[in-house]
Amino acid sequence: MIAHEMNISTDSKISLGQYLLNPFRTLAGGTALLLGFIIILLTAFVGALGNTHFDGVIDVHSGQAAPLWFFFAESIIDWLSIVLFLTVSAFIFSPTRWRFIDLLGTQALARWPAIFTALVFLPDANRRVNDFIIAKLTQSSTQLTIHPMDGVIFAFASIVTVVVIIWMVVLMYKAYAVSCNVKGVKAIASFIVSILVAEALSKVLIILMFKRAL
Amino acid sequence: MKILPTKCPACHNPLIVKSLVCDECKTEVQGQYQLPPLASFSPEDQEFILNFLKVSGSLKDMAKLLQLSYPTVRNRLDEIIGRIKLTEQQNNTGKENQ
Repeated sequence: MIAHEMNISTDSKISLGQYLLNPFRTLAGGTALLLGFIIILLTAFVGALGNTHFDGVIDVHSGQAAPLWFFFAESIIDWLSIVLFLTVSAFIFSPTRWRFIDLLGTQALARWPAIFTALVFLPDANRRVNDFIIAKLTQSSTQLTIHPMDGVIFAFASIVTVVVIIWMVVLMYKAYAVSCNVKGVKAIASFIVSILVAEALSKVLIILMFKRAL
Repeated sequence: MKILPTKCPACHNPLIVKSLVCDECKTEVQGQYQLPPLASFSPEDQEFILNFLKVSGSLKDMAKLLQLSYPTVRNRLDEIIGRIKLTEQQNNTGKENQ
């Protein structure tokens, strides 16, 4: 096939905003799956370095040390939980045919902003603030204090985390809408239900895994 | 080249062809001819359909050609199929009313 013989429209011109909020216009299928899976593993690895747990589809907590495999398992449970419920939603609401590999791949890639959360929670200051908050809440120790700089670092990490979670949810929705050709109220409603149920399932699975393994 | 108007600017109903002329001898044929369904699509949609035929209907090749993802191209095709069905329905309704 000779490309110059074709009349090619300007469909492929994509702005930076589209790359950040809807990369699935140009990226899906096997490529998205490979990239997304690598990023999920990388995020889990960086998370393990700072004891940052992605312990739910849209959940992040900094805290307890665990073996490396546990962090990988958490991230994979998160990814597959949302894929499971979006698959059910797509079977019900998609008016056309769609490929499972597109949903699987784009949902993996939609999790890429989580790497920023894993990175901002790397400094030890976050753990110190975390310990301080737990101590205050449980009143287990009144001697603990925190350095103001630790507070600033923790506040920054928290803000980044909120932004990242919103960004990730937008990406997950776009991935679902593009991969399964679902639009309008049906798309939004089925996505909200799916993400809530997937969040609950992933939480339960991770807690069960935690109780059995650690 | 000018874009072929397909809808009436006053009432938005489909336009029909009233006259055709030979570019060589200037013979003119007059009548009332319905535009083919494809002519009622936007130039972008027509371009998409032509390219789709040229790649033998392969969505994967279309995705490569347009540098878009497979589901994006498939969704675009589904939209066009939807418009074709709607145009056919409108044409059938128009014929029944006549």
